[in-house]
Amino acid sequence: MKKENQSRVLVIIPAYNEAENIERVVDDLIENYPQYDYVIVNDGSRDDTLEICRRKHYNYIDMPINVGLTDGVQTGMMYAYKHGYEYALQFDGDGQHDPQYIETMLDAMSDCDICVASRFVEQKKPGGMRMLGSNIIQLTLKLTTRKNIKDPTSGMRMFNRVTMKAMAEHADYGPEPDTLAHLIRSGAVVKEVQVEMRERIAGESYLNLSRSIKYMLHMCFSIMFIQWCRKKIDLHGGDGK
Amino acid sequence: MSLVLRIALILVSFLVLVFVLKKIRRTQLYIDDAIYWIVFSFLLFVISIFPQIAIFAADLLGIQSPANFVFLFMIFVVLIKLFNLAIDLSVQKHRLNRLVQKLALMEKDEKEQ
Repeated sequence: MKKENQSRVLVIIPAYNEAENIERVVDDLIENYPQYDYVIVNDGSRDDTLEICRRKHYNYIDMPINVGLTDGVQTGMMYAYKHGYEYALQFDGDGQHDPQYIETMLDAMSDCDICVASRFVEQKKPGGMRMLGSNIIQLTLKLTTRKNIKDPTSGMRMFNRVTMKAMAEHADYGPEPDTLAHLIRSGAVVKEVQVEMRERIAGESYLNLSRSIKYMLHMCFSIMFIQWCRKKIDLHGGDGK
Repeated sequence: MSLVLRIALILVSFLVLVFVLKKIRRTQLYIDDAIYWIVFSFLLFVISIFPQIAIFAADLLGIQSPANFVFLFMIFVVLIKLFNLAIDLSVQKHRLNRLVQKLALMEKDEKEQ
């Protein structure tokens, strides 16, 4: 299914009600980073996201109903795997992520399976309430996998063919830290590279305080009590490579 | 609360936990849906280890036997789950119908082209 002069990387942009941001994000990718392919997964948006994708002739997948981030990203992973991409990048549609770091991440992929674009590799994590959740998730990851992921909640992650396949095939593999924990336990090598992230420019963030707390509790619970009993998958033994 | 009941509760909560974890292992149960059952088995476990909780609550509500409180509590918790399942089912019905409608409209569009 490989196209001619296809990029090695597919940027997966899940979009739910991102009409205010999607044009800016995707136009930036097309104009300034034509070396990367992209696909938008419109997850049953109720605003004009779909109309914009149609009008601008973007490369998009339109989910007929809202399925949530997990299955939306998974659809992108299935697309990437089917079309023979070497790397799949999970990338936010709200403009938080800066495509200039894709190159840095690609360089890092030579000796890892998953590369996380991290805000806190070289820079110190700011204290306070805002990073409390991130710190707790970091701690639970460290306790259960003995791996120190400094920015576990970063939503910009690059997967190679092996981990892309795992993400595409298995049920309940959300693009979240608990799946990261599970993949690490299954033998995936995770590396972080330092990036800067932007504040979102338009629209409202999905995470408010109560949602953040719920998210954090869910992640900690999942990482500490559930991931360890999950069946490890055979990452490097299969035909993934 | 009799010792036999307490042991039975501990056993049941342990069995629920093992069963749920087994289902997660085979991905027959989503983590989201499993959390309820894990918390449920944990609560049963706590009540059987510390029957004082049941004794206190029974006293507070004017229930004669703490065992009756445990039954009432379980019925209540199960009813909440039942109600949530009913809501989930309605949502699933709606989503399935939407999906079928969209598919039908797409096929119609294809025919007309």
